[in-house]
Amino acid sequence: MKPTMPIMAHLVLGYPTLAESIRTAAQYVAAGVQILELQIPFSHPTADGPVITAACREAIEGQHVTVEDSLRALATIRQRFPDQEIIVMSYLNRIFTYGAARFTADMEALRIRHLIVPDLPVDSPMAAKFSTESLQLVPVLAANVGAERLEKLLDMPFSFYYLMSDFKITGAGFSLHPRLKAIIERIRARQAAARIGIGFGISTPEQALLAAKEADIAIVGSALIQAQYRGELDALLTKIAAAFEPAEVE
Amino acid sequence: MEAISLSFQDTILQSQGYFGPYGGCFVPEVLLPNLAAIAAAFEDIKTDADFLAELHQTLQDFSGRPTAFTPLPTLSTQIGGAQLFLKNEGLNHTGAHKINHCIGQALLAKRLGKKRIIAETGAGQHGYATAAVCARLGLDCTVYMGRIDYERQRPNVYWMELLGAKVVPVEDGSQTLNDAVIAAFKDWVAHPEETYYLLGSAVGPHPYPAMNTYFQKIVGEEIREQCIATTGRLPDACIACVGGGSNAMGMFFDFLDEADVQLIGVEAGGRGEKPGEHAAKLRQGKVGVFEGYHSYFLQDQVGNIASTHSVSAGLDYCGVSPILAFLGDEGRVQFEVASDEEALAAVQALARAEGIIPALESAHAFAHAFKMAAQMPKDAIIVVNASGRGEKDLFITMRHFQEESLKTYARKLLND
Repeated sequence: MKPTMPIMAHLVLGYPTLAESIRTAAQYVAAGVQILELQIPFSHPTADGPVITAACREAIEGQHVTVEDSLRALATIRQRFPDQEIIVMSYLNRIFTYGAARFTADMEALRIRHLIVPDLPVDSPMAAKFSTESLQLVPVLAANVGAERLEKLLDMPFSFYYLMSDFKITGAGFSLHPRLKAIIERIRARQAAARIGIGFGISTPEQALLAAKEADIAIVGSALIQAQYRGELDALLTKIAAAFEPAEVE
Repeated sequence: MEAISLSFQDTILQSQGYFGPYGGCFVPEVLLPNLAAIAAAFEDIKTDADFLAELHQTLQDFSGRPTAFTPLPTLSTQIGGAQLFLKNEGLNHTGAHKINHCIGQALLAKRLGKKRIIAETGAGQHGYATAAVCARLGLDCTVYMGRIDYERQRPNVYWMELLGAKVVPVEDGSQTLNDAVIAAFKDWVAHPEETYYLLGSAVGPHPYPAMNTYFQKIVGEEIREQCIATTGRLPDACIACVGGGSNAMGMFFDFLDEADVQLIGVEAGGRGEKPGEHAAKLRQGKVGVFEGYHSYFLQDQVGNIASTHSVSAGLDYCGVSPILAFLGDEGRVQFEVASDEEALAAVQALARAEGIIPALESAHAFAHAFKMAAQMPKDAIIVVNASGRGEKDLFITMRHFQEESLKTYARKLLND
């Protein structure tokens, strides 16, 4: 299946069940999303909003999903969609407890190239343990990233940058911070090949279009999980796909 | 590390956030500019005579420092071993040692030009102290509190609101301290530029563990002076309870490089050793990374944070200061546990024998001190940090000691 829209679609593995999260991933792929963002659930997702927090809670307390379970589900998804780009997201304590060497080896086996760990600064000594030749961390930057800090990250460098649309937690309304434009320009100037995604608060096709236009990829999380909860996932995916159709023609 | 000869004090103050393998600054990138600015300001104030003068003046005028150093002759005689003394941090304004780092951090926030303060609180003591300091310094104050704590610590909610703070009940998760910490971090992510997070213990991302230790170290400095003035020498042992570790680090810091002073932290043994029944992370926790720092945490086998229990809300927390984790590994601080029952018994013993009602948190330190004193000679000196006073525990201790009277009183209150 060829991706038809510049969307990174997020889900929590094990929500509402492991089997259903695998089916949701298949729905995302069928809709044509460019990247699947698969989150390993954690008891205390410190940077997520209420929707993803509740999904994590159900996966942990209701389904008792472990890192091993998450990796098994990931393997199933990988097997079914060998060419689909997948980014894995986890809070640090889960994968720290699992073991960095073991985890990065698993990522390599699953051909995962990017890892998002919201509470792991990408240049910390700990970050080095989760970066290999084939696995890279994704910096999650906001409009308050300092010029010096940005240059340091661009020197490292990274191949994917995740920008917070504005100062907020996930799923809390959408706006684009005016300072993002300059940050995007700077990344482009220094690293033309790097991809940039914008996320946090995208819930409508119009917002996704706007984010994808500013950057390369629109990242959608809470809105999809909520739509799934309400049984409206297909409808939302169809609407988003429709919004991107004219761009495809062009 | 090449600097093997550094003293413990220098290691902590010059650490840049790592204490052996522990510590660090594990937060979303959006918070790094704030934490870097706070760390830089913290470095500056250590040598800024004006700041330090204002800090000490405020500690004196507003909080009533220095606090008393009190011999416990009756208990010492009853036990028949070491001579016991207590450092009465409960005599601070708002009733506990917490105000020491609240004053320090609030002054630092003002220096950074921040006008809005956020804080987390469990039982409400840190929130209460934060609200008082913010009112005094004219800072806007929002305190996050788990819904369960909000309901069961209603008097402290009232005090905070009376002081002009906004108290926000947190509905997520287990609705206790952890969830309040996370809610405060989320607020900070959403408002990083105008807000200062006044974190309430020697935990969290760099520079909080070192900074709160620095603002609390006055406790140990006063103990040194007062102990020498009273007894002519340093104590043989200093004992403090350990929740996050702020009162323990405050007491221990000045003695870290005095090899003859034994330092003992007492954790909450709760109701038993099963997961969820206690809060003894250094005795039973595992190394992990959570809420911004690398340390010992109570967690399950697969890295989810476990629930905790202690009769004292101030010790009912899953993590512990990375500095204490380091000092424990180095063998500089020993860790013991005291149960809920032992702590309650210690409250009663201290009240009857010496006329002092300690906070339930501090009572854990006393429970261990009583056991230890019995094993030591009569010329030995033990100092216990009475980190807070016990009035805040009214409904908990009264329920334990006089349940019927409490029920009668509650009924009367409601019917009036």
